[in-house]
Amino acid sequence: MKKIFLIWLLLQSIHNISAQSIFFSPKFGKEDFSINHSYSFTASDSIKFETLKFYISSIQLLNNQKVVFAEKNSFHLIDIEDSESMKINLPSATNFEFDEVKFNIGIDSITNVSGAMGGDLDPINGMYWTWQSGYINFKLMGSSSACKTMNHQFEFHLGGYQHPFNLLQTIVLSSNKNSLLKIEFDVQQFLSGIDFTKQNHIMSPCNDAVLLSKKLSQCFKIN
Amino acid sequence: MKIIVLSLLVLICCGFTVKQSLFIVPKKWPKPVYDFSQNELSENKIELGKQLFYDPILSADNKISCASCHSPYTAFTHIDHALSHGIHDSIGTRNSPTLFNLAWQKKFMWDGAIVNLDMQALAPISHPAEMGSSINLVVKKLSASAKYKQLFFNAFQDSSITGQQTLKAIAQFMVTLVSANSKYDRVKNGKEKFSISEANGYKLFKKNCNSCHTEPLFTNENFENNGLAVDPQLNDFGRWKITHLAKDSLLFKVPSLRNIAYTAPYMHDGRFKKLSQVINYYMMGIVQQKTLSKQLSKGVYFTSNEKIELLSFLNTLTDKEFISNPKFLPPPIQK
Repeated sequence: MKKIFLIWLLLQSIHNISAQSIFFSPKFGKEDFSINHSYSFTASDSIKFETLKFYISSIQLLNNQKVVFAEKNSFHLIDIEDSESMKINLPSATNFEFDEVKFNIGIDSITNVSGAMGGDLDPINGMYWTWQSGYINFKLMGSSSACKTMNHQFEFHLGGYQHPFNLLQTIVLSSNKNSLLKIEFDVQQFLSGIDFTKQNHIMSPCNDAVLLSKKLSQCFKIN
Repeated sequence: MKIIVLSLLVLICCGFTVKQSLFIVPKKWPKPVYDFSQNELSENKIELGKQLFYDPILSADNKISCASCHSPYTAFTHIDHALSHGIHDSIGTRNSPTLFNLAWQKKFMWDGAIVNLDMQALAPISHPAEMGSSINLVVKKLSASAKYKQLFFNAFQDSSITGQQTLKAIAQFMVTLVSANSKYDRVKNGKEKFSISEANGYKLFKKNCNSCHTEPLFTNENFENNGLAVDPQLNDFGRWKITHLAKDSLLFKVPSLRNIAYTAPYMHDGRFKKLSQVINYYMMGIVQQKTLSKQLSKGVYFTSNEKIELLSFLNTLTDKEFISNPKFLPPPIQK
């Protein structure tokens, strides 16, 4: 009996190794990103983060530009405060040759208008606006000495699904690996060029949110 | 095989009849907009939704329920107050709308901010001047309540309470609020007849009001600018707030005229206390604005006799059965 159990355990572990996973690793430039840690931002200003949350959806694997795998019901809330959420397991995506991974940052327009959702899409996660319908695709909050706001706080809530403020971003990254994909997201790159004295909060779908979302899509890469 | 097919048929038929009795589309009405396939009605879910609707547990201080601003006795709106009242005596910026025939509504709120009935309750729950709470806090409080654990289990066969379930249950109760048995409806169904004054009023209505307050729902479900001057304190530009498009400036959702005799005050900011003031406004008060609905650009005119006739027709939209239906009234207080 014990032997059978050990063999089963072994088989399980092999299965886990070959299962496709995507691991999100936020960075601040060359440093690892973590909340409540002070980074130097510009020559004179420091910056600290308290929230980083975003949706990854519609994950696909491609080979020679053809989709070889598409995850069903593909909605994942990535939350820096929940280490489990940083890794997405795709158990049914094993044994696929692929050279690209494709995914969205944010939630598509149909899901935005389809009523109350559960799991990662449950409004309880604080990623759904209450004053108007729509998911917040991406949330980054913290404080910087440059912000002339209460407690030097900045808040970027990027969301919106209706033209002209449709913020959904599709990202395609090439990869030569075929098991664990480590996707880095550089927060420093995302914030670079933002003048915190002028721009320190976005709380609704608007032009600035569209621009920042486009910038956001440039900050993901596979290492 | 035959048995399986037969039993499947029976199951399908049963399901059909249950659904039929929980939500009936009135004769000659359009197809509902609400997607029932995403939130299939059940008696237990509707019951849970009703309990939640009437329970101040939804607010931060356990004092404000949905019914505080949406009283069943006045077709689910707040009368007497121009602007809605919320937690700690806060005053909002708009007149609380009526709640009925929501299954036919595409967008909610005066500015259409909410696009699915399921998500509507989130707004008042979270608004600092309404319930001042959050869906997280609500779920936490409900999870600590033996009564709700049981009700959620009855409804979802699941003892863990989620935001999704909470919102879907509230939506189930709200979507069942159908008002379709006014005198107008009975006349349309051949059961009663209009008086001469009502019949004349109906003609005036069809000529002057029906393009926006379209039968049988008495709204065209659009956003229109009806020419109200902007209140300098509220500075409310309506739908513009949501779309940021110039063409949407000063547009508000066209409310249904059903049960209008119950639902004073009128307009998005409740500026008119009486229906006669509303009629006078359409005759003399419209402000010419860029986005004014074209139907109103020429203005309307009623003689004093016509005003009485129009009012008598509007009174036929009153649905007494709706405001006294025990299915919709507050549940008995449980100890």
